[in-house]
This record gives sequence, structure tokens and C-alpha cells, in this order.
Amino acid sequence: MGPDRLDRFLALSAELTAFDVVELAGTGESDAYLATVDRIVGTGAVDALLDAHTAISEPPGQARDHQLRHSMLGDEFLGPLARNVIKLWYVGIWYQLPRSWREVNGARDGDVTFTISANAYTQGLLWPAVGANPAGARAPGWASWTEPPRLAKL
Amino acid sequence: MRFPTGAATRTDLETAAERTYDAVVIGAGVSGAIMANELSTAGKTVLLIDAGPGEDLTVKGYESYLETFYRQAVKDNQSPYPRNPNAPMPRSVDIGPVAPGQPETSGYLVQPGPYITDTTYTRVLGGTTMHWEAKTPRFLPEDFEMNTKFGRGADWPIDYDELEPYYREAERELGVAADVDSQREIGLPFPDDYVFPMHGIPLSYLDQVVDTGIDGTTVELGGERLPLKVRPYPQARNGVPNPAFNDGEGYRPVGAVGTHRTDEGERCQGNNNCVPICPVQAKYHAGKTLAKALQTGRVELLTQAVASKVHIDPANGRVSGIEVKVYYDPDDPAHETGMITGHTFVLAAGAIETARLLLASDLPSTSGLVGRNLMDHAYLLNWALLPEVAGTMRGTVCTGGIVDLRGGGFRSGQAAFSVDIHNDGWGWATGAPYTDLLHLVDDHNLFGTGLRRDLATRISSQLLLAFMVEVLPTETNRVTVDPAYKDQLGNMRPVVSMTIPEYSMRGVAAARQVSKLIFQRLGAKDFTRYDPADPSYVEFDGEGYAIRGGNHLAGTHIMGTNKRNSVVDANQRSWDHENLYLVGGGSMPSIGSANVTLTLAALCYRTAKSMISELN
Repeated sequence: MGPDRLDRFLALSAELTAFDVVELAGTGESDAYLATVDRIVGTGAVDALLDAHTAISEPPGQARDHQLRHSMLGDEFLGPLARNVIKLWYVGIWYQLPRSWREVNGARDGDVTFTISANAYTQGLLWPAVGANPAGARAPGWASWTEPPRLAKL
Repeated sequence: MRFPTGAATRTDLETAAERTYDAVVIGAGVSGAIMANELSTAGKTVLLIDAGPGEDLTVKGYESYLETFYRQAVKDNQSPYPRNPNAPMPRSVDIGPVAPGQPETSGYLVQPGPYITDTTYTRVLGGTTMHWEAKTPRFLPEDFEMNTKFGRGADWPIDYDELEPYYREAERELGVAADVDSQREIGLPFPDDYVFPMHGIPLSYLDQVVDTGIDGTTVELGGERLPLKVRPYPQARNGVPNPAFNDGEGYRPVGAVGTHRTDEGERCQGNNNCVPICPVQAKYHAGKTLAKALQTGRVELLTQAVASKVHIDPANGRVSGIEVKVYYDPDDPAHETGMITGHTFVLAAGAIETARLLLASDLPSTSGLVGRNLMDHAYLLNWALLPEVAGTMRGTVCTGGIVDLRGGGFRSGQAAFSVDIHNDGWGWATGAPYTDLLHLVDDHNLFGTGLRRDLATRISSQLLLAFMVEVLPTETNRVTVDPAYKDQLGNMRPVVSMTIPEYSMRGVAAARQVSKLIFQRLGAKDFTRYDPADPSYVEFDGEGYAIRGGNHLAGTHIMGTNKRNSVVDANQRSWDHENLYLVGGGSMPSIGSANVTLTLAALCYRTAKSMISELN
């Protein structure tokens, strides 16, 4: 289950963030993020999320996006979990699940807003997505700010 | 810069209480560090007392601040600095919802309201220069003559020309990067051959986009047409040294402070994090001056020591000693109390803490002005999305701004202001970029490529204009103390009452109009809105504005020409206590629309010179 489960988590994360698996793994946070979601909502819930993702068979395109929205992002139970996975990768923060989710599914121990670790902050994908460095880390160098930003072509 | 190993713990209360120092300085921020350095270099013995945690300034210690910052989910401007109930500090995140008629007490400052400020200062070694942004504009000559020129506020007992040589000393110590011609253009006189220690920090791409977009724009204020142009700010931040500095001697940037040699801190790397902490110490902080002062061997540092009472000899009004409470652990109220003696005393704890200490000591005051005339810049934030990606979130927090509205005849009717272009986007106003991520994921239901694309365009095209609006001295804006409100050590907390005077609100209203004009010229989408539920919300002339605190505190021991109109004289010496000096922003009779640190540093150089000749 171990490596396979992590691979499935990375495949899900790549689809949700539009960063590829190598970029995700390069943050060094894959294990920590999966462990965080497991710890807070339980492995059963995470497995349900991974299963929902695996079950989507359409090739990339509108039909696949439709399925992702219907069976995962727009699912009352799985949607908030999927959105939290996006936020983890982008800024390294676990955000407390929405009140509506907690009321239906019960409050989970550890479900408070927190930064996973110092490294998780500095490895946030938001920064490369906007052509910048995380404030206070991974400095781009003297006078780099005088030039237009370089943003990845998507 | 080497911090002598063990200097933060070498002295203890018992040892310090047995000695009589030439000078006892309260507060190891920029004012206290400059005073200690100047006095000790002149051969005087100094005890420097600081309320913050007692550890040597090491690279490891500095990195622990950085780690703390990384780990915070909410990165406010005090987030790197751990909570210390024995020497608490104001934090914007602590301010709770305010009930009408009830004081705001959840933050460290007790605020009766209705206006609640989110201003801060930092109580650690190095003081607020640990978190400051390090913009170092000089005051304009007219800022020293507000009453004479505009019939507003108060004149200083000294003018720009008198302070000018000390500005140069401050610029050398703080390591200011600027091009002198850009400063002459806004009306600041310099000696003909003067250059700053370092060349100016280059403008950001964002600044350039704004400057191109507003090219040729003028605004009318008080019947005068004034041009709008983006100009670079002088900054106390390491850049490229100017070989022409000091008659061709050049300038050697001061790097990171530590007990061991380190190569950090040589040049700004564009971390975009000046506030709340520069990760590489390219930004000046008072630890650099403090380390130098300690190297003289004549400065002792007593840390974890909170000054709690100034004692006076009733026969002559002279300070006989200062009572301090030394704690062992920030979380534990256990402490010992002792009396420190010296020939002269310098209170350099910042405009609020210095006033708090004087008031808590219940000293007689001829003018009755201790704690009054509290000033801070009133900040009006305006935010918009540019029609193009402009590279926001890169560079120092602020490289350029519009400073042409800092001076002019209009000041007889309304406050002046300067405009900062924030390279860090909407963060101050909205919590960007985190709030943008949440908004796009939770509300726009984006994921994958769509999310990534919208994040890039929404964040990289953010423009935040922060208008720094002048506030004049008003006696009812004040710091007091109240025994009902004490901290963990039993010291009375500052009670701060502030309202934004009408003169400033006219400036705020004009600032909003100028921001709209700028956004129109740029074709930027204005997202500015001020929440009536904001504790800092102020209504004026049918409109509402949220007025943020500027952390530029001043006026509480105002300087003047005699003991009835002021607390200190032009040398920052207390009129009522001849061996007591009150130094820092608190001495200022006006703050114009310039950040205060450079000017208070210049004042300290002037005061140190007079103190040294007095001690000799």
C-alpha cells in the first residue's frame, strides 16, 4: 500500500495543482502532506478521495473536468478535502475544514489552521506559480525585481 | 559584525546595581544603541537595559526568528518575535471586535476608542528596527516649521540646517542607499559634494509600470498643480557601495550580526520580506550598532530587565535611580527588583514605552505634556488590479513611491502625504496572496491549470498604494496609565487614546481621490473597500475610511523652547530633570510624511554630542 498510495496521492495532487509529479516530489513535502491529511481526516477518508480520483477514466479535457467536479470537487464529503490538498501544496498550510463539513462529519482532532513546517512554507507552489519567491526565502537575487516577471507558459 | 560572545548575559542585576555608570540607557533599539555607541566610544561607561529576551545576537538566534516566521499561518508584522508576557508588545492580530463604549483590551495597548489603532513596536534586542521596512527619507525643511509656514502644528526648536550634519551621521551608521540627486529634486538641501554611503536601490518593474502609466499626471492641491512621478526611496539596506562616499573613502556595508564570522548580509537579495524580518540581514537593524557599542568594552547589557520606575531626588529634581524588574523566563512572572544608578539617564524605549514609564513613575511635569501629542502616520490603503502582469511580490517591500505631495502651500489647509508602491501586493490590505488562493479555490471553484493561471494574473498584477498621511500634535491624542490594566510583571500597560484630527482626514480624503485618479490613468480595477466594522474605521465628510497604524510613533515627550510648552529641550534633555534625556520619536514636534527612524537617529547623534560635552 505504501508507495502505491503515495503515487496515487501525487497523481491526484498533480491534477489539482497543474504542477507535475516531479515538481511536487521536489518540494520534499509529499510524505508530510499525505500524513497530515491521513492524521486529520483518517486514512479511510483519504482512500475514498484517492479512489474517486482513480475512478475517473476520461482523458484530459472538458469531460474529465466535468467528472472531477461531479464526483470529487463537488462532492459534499470529498470536495473540502480535495480543496485542502490544493491549499497544502500551494502554501503549506492546512486550513480548518469548513463548518458545514465539520457539522456533518464531526470535528476532527488537529483540524485547525496551521503551517505544516518551515520547509512547507518555503516550498509552497504559489510562489513559482506567480513568478516570485516565498517572502523571506529562496531569494531571487540582487536587482532581479527590476525585470518583468517570468511566468510559466501553461 | 561581531557580537561579543556572552555580552547579553555577562552582567546581572546584582553586579549592575553595585556600579555607578556614566550613563544608564533604557532600551536597546536604534536610539539606545546609537546613544550607547557614541557615549562608550567617547570613553563613558554605559549600562544598556533591555526588556527583551537575553540572548546574544547570533546568526542561529536570528534564524530562529526566521523559522518562527515561516511556521506562522498568519504572518503579521510581529510574527517572527515570540510572545513575552513579561514585556508584551502590540500585535495587530490581537485586536478583537470592539463593543461600543468598551475599551479594547485584548491587545497589549488598552484603547478606550472609538478609534482603535493597530500600530505596533517590537520589544526585542534591536527594537522595532528588527521588523521595520528601512525606508529612510529625511524630513523636509518645512516639516520643522509647520507653525511659521502654515499656521499648523508646532515648530521645532531646531531647523533642517541644524540637523543636516547629523542626518549624514545617521545615514552613515544606518548604511543608507540612495542617489543624492533624486533627493535634491524633492527639495532637500545637501552639501554640494555629498553622496550617500551606497547607490540607490533600483526601482521595481512594478514601479516602472506605474511611472509609465501616470506620466504627465498632475493633481491640484490648495490651488497648486503638483506633478506625480514615481521616485526611489532612500533605504537602510545594503546595495552597491558608492566609492565617492566620505571624500572618496568609500563605504563598507555592515553584514549580519553574530558571535562568529559570517558572510551574510552583504547585499539585498530581493527576499520581499523586509517587514517583518530580512532573512539575510541586508537590512539595517539596531543590532549592528549594538554589537559595535559592545565591542568598545565599556557597555554592559542587562537583558530581560524591564524598567519599572524612575526615582527622583525631590531636592533637585535629578534622577537618583531607575528601578528594574529582571525576569528569568518570559512565561514566568518570577523576577527580582533592583535599583540602577548613574550620573545620567537616557530613556530610549520608544514613544509609547518611554511615556508609559514616566507616567507610571508619577513624576512631576511642569508642562503636563508627558504622554500627550502622540503621533503616528495615518495610513490609507488603496488597492487595484493592473491590466497587465507587473511582477508584484518581488523586490524589497517598497522601492519607489510618489513623494511630490509631501510639501507645499496646501499644508495650511490639509495634511501632506507620500505614497508607497507596495512590491508585496495587497498583503497589508487583504492578507494576499493567501486570501487570493482561498478565494480562487473556494469561491471561484478553480483547480489545475485554470487555478494556476488565475493565481498568476491576479497576484502578479496587484497594486497597493499606501498613503502615509501626516498627523499633527494634538494634546488629546495621548498615552496614559491605569492601575486597572497591568502586565504579568505588574507594570501598568499603556492606555492609548487616538483620534485622527480633521486636518489629517482632509488629507485622507484627498489621498483617496489621488488614488482613484492614478487607477484611472493606469486602467486599473479598483478593489478598495473599507469595512464599517473595522475598529480603525473613520467617517469623514460623508465617506468612510479604514485608517491603519503606521508604527511611526512620536510626540509623547515633545521638544520645544521652554519648560511650559514642551517636555524636552532641543538636546532631548528633560526640562524638569537635568540628568535625564528622553530620546527617540517621542521628542518630535511633527512627523511630516516621512518615516521617522532616520530623523530620530539624527537627533540621537546631536544629543550624544551634547551629553558627552556635558559629562566631560
